[in-house]
Amino acid sequence: MLAQQLLNALFLGAVYALFALGYTLIFGVLDILNLAHAAIYMIAAFAAYSLVADGLPLPLAAGLAIVMAGVIGILLDRVAFAPLRRRNAGTLVPLISSIGVAIVIGAIARAVYGIDERHFVEGGLDATPIHLGPVTFTSLEAIILATAIGLMFGLSYVLRATVLGRNIRAVAQDRVAAALLGVDLERTIAATFFIASALGGAAGILTGLEYNAVSLDLGSQIELKGLAVIILGGMGSITGAVIGGFAIGIVETLAVAYGLSAWRDALTFGVMFLILVARPAGIFGARALRSA
Amino acid sequence: MKFVARVALVSAAMIALAVPAGAAATKGPAAGKTVTVGVIADVTGSAAVYGTMQKNAYDLATADAAAGIIDAGGATLSFNVQDAASDGAQVVNLMQKFTTDGTTPLVLGPTLSGEAFKAFPLAKAANFPVIGTSTTAEGVTAIGPTVFRVSLAESQAIPPTVAKVQSIWHGKNVAIIYGDDNAFTKTDGALFQREFEKSGATVVDTETFHIGDKDFQAQLTRIASKKPDIIAIGGLFPEATKIIEQAGKLGIKAHMVGGNGLNSTAMYATAGPAAQGVVVGAAWFIGNKYTGNEAFVKRFKAKYGSLPDQFAAQAYAAAQVVAALVKSGATTKDEFSAGLRGLRIVQTVLGPIAFDSNRDVKAAPVVLQIVKDGFAYLQ
Repeated sequence: MLAQQLLNALFLGAVYALFALGYTLIFGVLDILNLAHAAIYMIAAFAAYSLVADGLPLPLAAGLAIVMAGVIGILLDRVAFAPLRRRNAGTLVPLISSIGVAIVIGAIARAVYGIDERHFVEGGLDATPIHLGPVTFTSLEAIILATAIGLMFGLSYVLRATVLGRNIRAVAQDRVAAALLGVDLERTIAATFFIASALGGAAGILTGLEYNAVSLDLGSQIELKGLAVIILGGMGSITGAVIGGFAIGIVETLAVAYGLSAWRDALTFGVMFLILVARPAGIFGARALRSA
Repeated sequence: MKFVARVALVSAAMIALAVPAGAAATKGPAAGKTVTVGVIADVTGSAAVYGTMQKNAYDLATADAAAGIIDAGGATLSFNVQDAASDGAQVVNLMQKFTTDGTTPLVLGPTLSGEAFKAFPLAKAANFPVIGTSTTAEGVTAIGPTVFRVSLAESQAIPPTVAKVQSIWHGKNVAIIYGDDNAFTKTDGALFQREFEKSGATVVDTETFHIGDKDFQAQLTRIASKKPDIIAIGGLFPEATKIIEQAGKLGIKAHMVGGNGLNSTAMYATAGPAAQGVVVGAAWFIGNKYTGNEAFVKRFKAKYGSLPDQFAAQAYAAAQVVAALVKSGATTKDEFSAGLRGLRIVQTVLGPIAFDSNRDVKAAPVVLQIVKDGFAYLQ
């Protein structure tokens, strides 16, 4: 049972981590919490659903929806953050601004898709179980996990080994110094929003596929956990978001595995509290994006 | 006395089956008067999937009353649906409004039992008649003497359902999974525990979840390790479909049973083949042959493009009860209170219904099983 539960935790943690990466990337670069991230997670899943419903093959639909999520991220920055940045509005005003955008995205989704849950495949996904030793999973779950992990490595590569990644890290380190050294600030910030939102969108699509369900409340369920993940991992830390995501997935799953399903959330946040008491900056607080 | 009541209900059911639908409206004591009934429903927010079904049913009932399909004795009957937005504070505000502003003699709703526990004490304090149409948790009607419900309580639906499945499955080990943050689903969990133990089975595992959860694999993996013959689900269909689907993925072969919350076309449309064989103890069967049911299902589908679920059927049945009272002359809150207390059997899409001495609906539950593309009576 433990092996199966750890696999369950891996599936859960991968999506938490992928979602949290976008959250923490924007925080690492701009020191703001983008609370519209969960709305992009939700709307990307709906977009992928629409494209599949229109007859596009799933991989193409998912790819287009991820790009669309990235573009929405750029628009989000232009509308909600850039004007405030120019006015040196601090960190709280953009937070409220992002909540406003999240509400607008939610209202649009409600108007377009209504309140009913949508399903990629009516009548259930083809989910023939694969038995591998003590664990059971479906091929779809394996693809979802591989995609999530692949995207995490992809982000790590971009940040460490490309010009864009160096620019993002430079802006995160010191915006003024980066600009003085010739980094195009607005372009780098736009790229950051694109990557962060695309990752959030990918997490939403993978969640929608995993449970064959896309609904308006998709984002609200992960929003708080995503926040917990990045605080636990260390605000702005890419490694922290990944480790934090898997850690919360494991704690949640093991709470249930040991008969404490009624205490799942309390236990998860209790463990988080204890870790933060010991390390107030989070597990990788000292190794944030600036030093990624 | 119980025997007489049963005979009366059975006789009424037989008459109901024999009477053609869509009888013409008659002239009653309230003919020419206008009655607007206040409705509180969660049309938006987390419970919108249920509240929207209710709103649609009331809008259809308003149209049907105008067309004479629902007979209000010549009175103009309409339903003023206000959205509580799945927000407890808004439910309370709306109940406060309806019980004090003089616009309605009666309130139908709110949607959820937890909301009813907040709002119905206001109706009791105002001596105002209210009918719950989907509030099935234990203790709802005990709130006060003006609180009635047409929704079959889980305590009425679950015991016969467990008795019926145990007569077929003879399960020895049972696992229960229920939502622990909702009055309705908690009631289900407790009732399944009590009734399965009463049947001689052992409850080998009890797991919980929260409304809105999408991942149940950890709970189901733990359940699978206990090897139950039966899994009882105390939940509503959005979660239940995922529990069933994920149990299928994990290769769990146990029988599954649930209560009213699983009585939705989404069960087979969403969960697909994994849902086949799942048993549902419920208040309404979409294919029942009671007067007007078939026509109600057809008109609902034609108007909204989707089939009604139990929330819609119970709301429509409440509208039929209200129409019967208006037909007999009730137009004020005191007349509705008296009318509800003395209600004789009313023919509805749920079948013939009346209230017992606790103001709960007096009707028999149906035990259904999901077959290929729908529900059928469990044989």
